[in-house]
Amino acid sequence: MSAVRTPSSRARAAGPARGSGGPLRRRGLRLGEPGTAWVFLTPAIVLLAGMLLYPIIYTVWVSLSDFDLSTFQPGDWVGLKNYETVINDPGFLESLKVTGIYLVIALPVQLVLGFAIAFLLNVEWRGRGVLRALFLIPMVVAPVVAGGVWRMLLDPLWGVVNYALGLVGVGPVEWIGDPTLAMVSLIVIDSWRWTPFVVLVASAGIMALPSDVYEAAKSDGASRWQTLRHVTVPLLVPVIAAAFIVRWLGAVKMFDIALAATKGGPGQATDVVNLYIYEKGFRGLEFGSASSMATIVLVITMIITYFLFRLSRYLENRW
Amino acid sequence: MVSSGRLGRAAAIGGAILATLVFLFPVIYMVGISFKLPRDIFTVPPRWFSELTFDNYTSYFHQARILPRMVNTVIVAAGSAIVSMVAGAMAGYALTRMRMRGAGVMAGVILASRAVPPIALVVPMFLVARRLGLTDQYITVILAYVTFLVPYVVWLMRAFFRSLPKELEEAAMLDGCGRFGAFFRIIVPCSLPGLISTMIYCIILAWEELLFALILTNDKAVTIPVAIAGIAADTENGGLWGPLAAVGVLTVLPVVIFALVVQKYLVKGLADGATKG
Repeated sequence: MSAVRTPSSRARAAGPARGSGGPLRRRGLRLGEPGTAWVFLTPAIVLLAGMLLYPIIYTVWVSLSDFDLSTFQPGDWVGLKNYETVINDPGFLESLKVTGIYLVIALPVQLVLGFAIAFLLNVEWRGRGVLRALFLIPMVVAPVVAGGVWRMLLDPLWGVVNYALGLVGVGPVEWIGDPTLAMVSLIVIDSWRWTPFVVLVASAGIMALPSDVYEAAKSDGASRWQTLRHVTVPLLVPVIAAAFIVRWLGAVKMFDIALAATKGGPGQATDVVNLYIYEKGFRGLEFGSASSMATIVLVITMIITYFLFRLSRYLENRW
Repeated sequence: MVSSGRLGRAAAIGGAILATLVFLFPVIYMVGISFKLPRDIFTVPPRWFSELTFDNYTSYFHQARILPRMVNTVIVAAGSAIVSMVAGAMAGYALTRMRMRGAGVMAGVILASRAVPPIALVVPMFLVARRLGLTDQYITVILAYVTFLVPYVVWLMRAFFRSLPKELEEAAMLDGCGRFGAFFRIIVPCSLPGLISTMIYCIILAWEELLFALILTNDKAVTIPVAIAGIAADTENGGLWGPLAAVGVLTVLPVVIFALVVQKYLVKGLADGATKG
């Protein structure tokens, strides 16, 4: 992360030496060449148009047609029929609710925990660097592996968690078998995997805090709580907003941990919408319904993301 | 920073150590399980130290063709990272450093595409790949991964290019470089640390991707996460904890090693920048 700062210093050093070509040719320098800019953009545009825009249009098309399983192609145009079906599908509505609950609980938990741990890791002592490095290890554990390993840890019979709880007289707890606890488990696993990311971002933000503000607060006799409330948190708002947005973008894609740990169960207790659509489409071969649901999810996600961006801009400007 | 008093300091350090241990425990547990026999895994109380076995790594790996799948994953991750880095870095550069009409809109569209849920793309990708006979091939998976990697690279590299001084490429262009010369000869070398760290993230993201791989592969091009999902699904019947843990260790290990190796390189780049500039 720290490496991000080097090139500018390097560049600054290299700049003047390179510039000795002389100002005579300045007229040849045109910074506003729109043609070249488009050439630079072409690979990205072609890739995204072909692999992102086209599939989205295709999805909408499938969602508006009667999918023909014999030719494996979208058939007759049926208008909004698929949408009517999925909106009246209790399973889909339940999966949206499950996703909402997961997002509303998991994201704040990860942010609060991440910033709290970042503050703990910020205290200066010899082992600080080692702890920071170790803390990032869960970040490189693939979500599907995290789901599998936690499934073992939380196993009602052989799991270490229940064993430890048994030592203090609790349990056995049905972590995966009970609907409410399955959601708790999903959030625990997801938070285990993603809190280190928040810690990473938060640590960078905390380290960049200006120390003179704290000296001023101290000399003004501010208590620790007042300092945190009126100095630290306002200064960290942009970092908190950035961490939240990135986590949001990741969390709406929640799929692999749920698949590996709970498979959406028991019943539909942890059936996040991505998992539900995947099952409908690729196990039930209901491509029409799956596409309608995917389109609805796409629209909801884009709208919420837009407002979250606006909100984070607003918060950044307010403080 | 805010901590005052030795007691508070000690408590904070203790808390930090405790938090780190809690977060590390599942990984340590996974490594432990991967070297255990089933009879030492399925016991209460758990056995912390028991007979070591490499069975989970040897016999099962052969049966589940783990190594070819590892190779698949490497090819797909490297391929998609390289394609996305080239396309994404060029686009990020154009959007930050070149004057053009519609740059703001273009940047908005590319960045908004980061919010597109993959589930909105899987049905057409599956259908089109099937019709073109492109399922179960590297190129299909690589192109699918580009959808989330390119916006990511543009996002990161835009911030990065913005931090470079403008005089840099102006100087290069005064020296007679065109835009391309300035970009590839000056901007890219100067941004190497940023490019490398972005690429590491791309490789990790591609390395652990599940959804696209699940629907686009079924045999030849199956990646490790798909294999793991299969093993995890089997866990219900009991018995596959050891193999699952072993494969898990094998997926984490390359990433950790890779990060360490490249970190050295990053540090070197840092030192060069400081001395040779």
